[in-house]
Amino acid sequence: MMNRLPVLKGTLDVLVLRALSWTPMHGFEIVTWLESAAKGSLDLEDSALYQAVYRLEERGLVAASWGVTENNRRARYYSITPAGRSQLRAETRNWMHYAETVTNILTAPRSALPSATT
Amino acid sequence: MIRRDVRRLFQLALRRRDRWEREVEDEIKLHLALRTEQLIAEGRSANDAFAEAARRFGPLTESRARLLEAARHRERHMERAEYLSDLKQDLRFAVRTLRRQLAWAVVTVLTLALGIGATTAVFSVVSSLLLHPVPYPGADRVVFVDQQPNMGNKTGMSISILPSTPIVRGWLANNHSFETLEGFLDGGDGWLGAGGSDADRVHIARAVPTFGRVTGVTPIIGRPFSDAEAATRAHVAIIGEGLWRSRFAGDHSVLGKRIVLDDSLYSIIGVLPSAAHLPRPGSAPPDVWLPLDLHNDQIGVSLVGRLRPGVTIDQARRELDSIYVRARPATSKLQFAARVISPARLVHFRDTLLMLAAAVAVVLLVSCANVAHLQLTRSASRGRELAIRASLGAGRTRLLRQLLTESVLLSGLGGAVGVVVGWLGLHAILVARPASLFELGAAHLDGTTLGITVLVTVGCGIVFGLLGAVHAGRRSTHDALKATASNLSRGGSAGTLRGVLVVSEMALSATLLVGATMLVRSVVMRQRADLGFDPSGLYAVDVDFPNRYATESARQRFNAEAEARIRALPGVRSVSVANVGPTGRGFAIGGLEVQGEPPAPLGETSFIDRNEVTPNFFSTLGIGLTEGTTFTDTSEAANQIIVNEGFARKHWPRGTAVGRHIRIAFNGQGTWKTVVGVAADASPSGPTGDMTEPMLYVPHADNSSTAIYFRASGGDGVAQLARSVVRSIDPSLHPTIVSVTAALHDATSAPRFIMAVLSVFTILALVLASIGLYGVMAHAVAQQTREIGIRVALGASRGRIARHVIVRGVALAVVGATLGLIASHWGTKLIQQQLYGVAPTDTLSLVAGGVVLIGAALLACVVPTRRALGVDPMTAIRAE
Repeated sequence: MMNRLPVLKGTLDVLVLRALSWTPMHGFEIVTWLESAAKGSLDLEDSALYQAVYRLEERGLVAASWGVTENNRRARYYSITPAGRSQLRAETRNWMHYAETVTNILTAPRSALPSATT
Repeated sequence: MIRRDVRRLFQLALRRRDRWEREVEDEIKLHLALRTEQLIAEGRSANDAFAEAARRFGPLTESRARLLEAARHRERHMERAEYLSDLKQDLRFAVRTLRRQLAWAVVTVLTLALGIGATTAVFSVVSSLLLHPVPYPGADRVVFVDQQPNMGNKTGMSISILPSTPIVRGWLANNHSFETLEGFLDGGDGWLGAGGSDADRVHIARAVPTFGRVTGVTPIIGRPFSDAEAATRAHVAIIGEGLWRSRFAGDHSVLGKRIVLDDSLYSIIGVLPSAAHLPRPGSAPPDVWLPLDLHNDQIGVSLVGRLRPGVTIDQARRELDSIYVRARPATSKLQFAARVISPARLVHFRDTLLMLAAAVAVVLLVSCANVAHLQLTRSASRGRELAIRASLGAGRTRLLRQLLTESVLLSGLGGAVGVVVGWLGLHAILVARPASLFELGAAHLDGTTLGITVLVTVGCGIVFGLLGAVHAGRRSTHDALKATASNLSRGGSAGTLRGVLVVSEMALSATLLVGATMLVRSVVMRQRADLGFDPSGLYAVDVDFPNRYATESARQRFNAEAEARIRALPGVRSVSVANVGPTGRGFAIGGLEVQGEPPAPLGETSFIDRNEVTPNFFSTLGIGLTEGTTFTDTSEAANQIIVNEGFARKHWPRGTAVGRHIRIAFNGQGTWKTVVGVAADASPSGPTGDMTEPMLYVPHADNSSTAIYFRASGGDGVAQLARSVVRSIDPSLHPTIVSVTAALHDATSAPRFIMAVLSVFTILALVLASIGLYGVMAHAVAQQTREIGIRVALGASRGRIARHVIVRGVALAVVGATLGLIASHWGTKLIQQQLYGVAPTDTLSLVAGGVVLIGAALLACVVPTRRALGVDPMTAIRAE
């Protein structure tokens, strides 16, 4: 098994938005979706997820309402707001760009070095 | 209703907190349960599964606390956002509603603006002069100290005595009341420059070296006076920032330069900032400061100090008095008491200002009453709208908030326009202010005033909002929906409230009307007053003598020369010299003793008007002699005296006054003088008091302050000539030639100004009250359209219909006027000081006030009456 990755601060928010971009979910659903999507390589306490959701709610990126689960339990369901959607798009673009840039640098051939001679 | 709403709001907040706390707990519980189930499904035992679920969740206590904190933060933020969005919605809705009723909104805003504007203007003056009289540190403990006569002052003026330096030294050395107590002298005006026409008139002050301890001001450049400079009366000067900038262009090399001040040379040693004021509200900062020597026994000085914390003005005064009693010269029997007062009390028109503040408060009340009216009229017509909204599910709190937002927005607009009106009003006051009320110059719109304006504005908004809400909310939704607008507003309580409001408006206006009428009459009386002499064509020469005229003989020579040259001018008919100039007053201070009457007890003091005059003074001014002659011998030994008729009548009601002996005894000393003549009662000081009060004339001997009176035909051209001949004697002097008519006019400018201001407020109140009455009457007619229609249909004559309307309007006015006239009994006490020739119980003013008020009421009824007469019975009856 690979080393489990700690989640970078702020990254969790965008992952939650991604989870909710399909359909409204309650907290445990989001957790299980993240676990399956990350195939177990994320190191995350479950409570941290709720904190992230509350933060997103405060910023108006997700909205909450009470609903009932398949097993007839009362649960707080979270859905992404239009503001959340545009935030997700922007963050995703940023992340891709960042990752691409870092990848490019790490895999750059030696010839890219600036000439040190005068 | 409010209380219930408030409580409900409060409960809601509590429940909200409970709710989200429980929600967080529920969420955690659900999460752990679901995780446990998931793990059991994967094959773990129940206990094991729960432990694993908890482990994955994170340390339970800490996580729970963190989540609660995050939720609390979220809720608070969302509450705020919700509040703001509600507010935005309310505001948008309010703007829309107000725009729909634009005329109504404009009238409301203007009514408030006038009331608030008038208040702002007057309160600016009150705040600048009475609340913030001096810019010194610890200003609330700063006091002005001098002395005043203990008794015998029946002049109607406040007489202050500069304590002599030995007394002051005693006070400084022995008091425990003051943190600091510093001497100063307002030196009046002097001439800066080499003499001649390029000299500048400057304001000079003298101060002790430590004066900065009380003002808290230090020189911008240079240094304060040293003790040695004060003790040696060195010719050093500190100049004010204004003079420094205007005359020396703010040049730092000014230190050490010399200036010529009233013919003497002074070296500049420092520059004081403009904040260095004398402790006299509204006075301009001095241009030149000179050192003051408290060891010079020949002078008296003023004092300003800061009391120690906790020491009252009264304690300080008692201490100074006890020190004075111990230190005063043993021979002196005159009783002077220390006067320790706040600098605000030096504003001599303080009482008038407070009277105007009261008047303006009345205007504000009237305008508020009017707005209350407007609000009632409107909330009646809105009853249906509110009922519909309530039935659509708007909560009471939400509706109340909506109404409050609307009314606070409205009064906010009124307040904003009001501040502009107030600012304009203040400027009008400043532009129109007479020179004798120079203190007004310091008035400005300050933070205190703006703060109070905001408070008044918001207060008005909330009160009127609640008034509207209470009124609209009184009936149940069901009733309101059933009723029509006109039925709704007929409600008895609102009708009564409206009547009460309009009656109080009328009463308040009546009070102002009576006061204003009295002031107008006083001004007329002043202008028509027979002063006992003829001011037309009469002039007086006024000269400030510089130091070189320090000796009596030099001044006497100058006066004699000036008198001779003016007499030689063409058109000049008569010249005379007196000790007291036009509009001025001089007093004999001491015990008056009349031969044949028991002597006054030792130490009793009286203040009797006294003037030193040359023999032809009476003929020059046109004051007749009813008995005896003018002075026949003005030599020092002659001891002749002339009294006025009032004096003669008082002391010798039967028999002749001529040949009687009187004296003014000072410490039991004083030469007896023989009455040689009785002059007609006259008041050269202008229409200030009772002319028949005792007045003494003695031969002119003291040349230190002199007015040369002359009567001339040929108008002000002669005055110019007189000025040039006086200057030709000594070109460095700056004589002013005063037309006595103009001087008298100036002397009465303050009462005229005060009358004008009060009249403006009165008219304002009257107009507002009339609008209020108009509103009530128009509303009543509108409500009774049906009733009037029926009456017309049943054959009521037009006269009957008109009477029906007018009688009701006038009845309201009469009730208001009666209450107002009764109230004016107390109100006029405030203006007593301003009255001249008019008693505070003046019937004519009372009647005039009542008549004007009822006249205004009739005017206000004209339009409603015509509307009532125009009612067409058929339409009116069918209308509902």
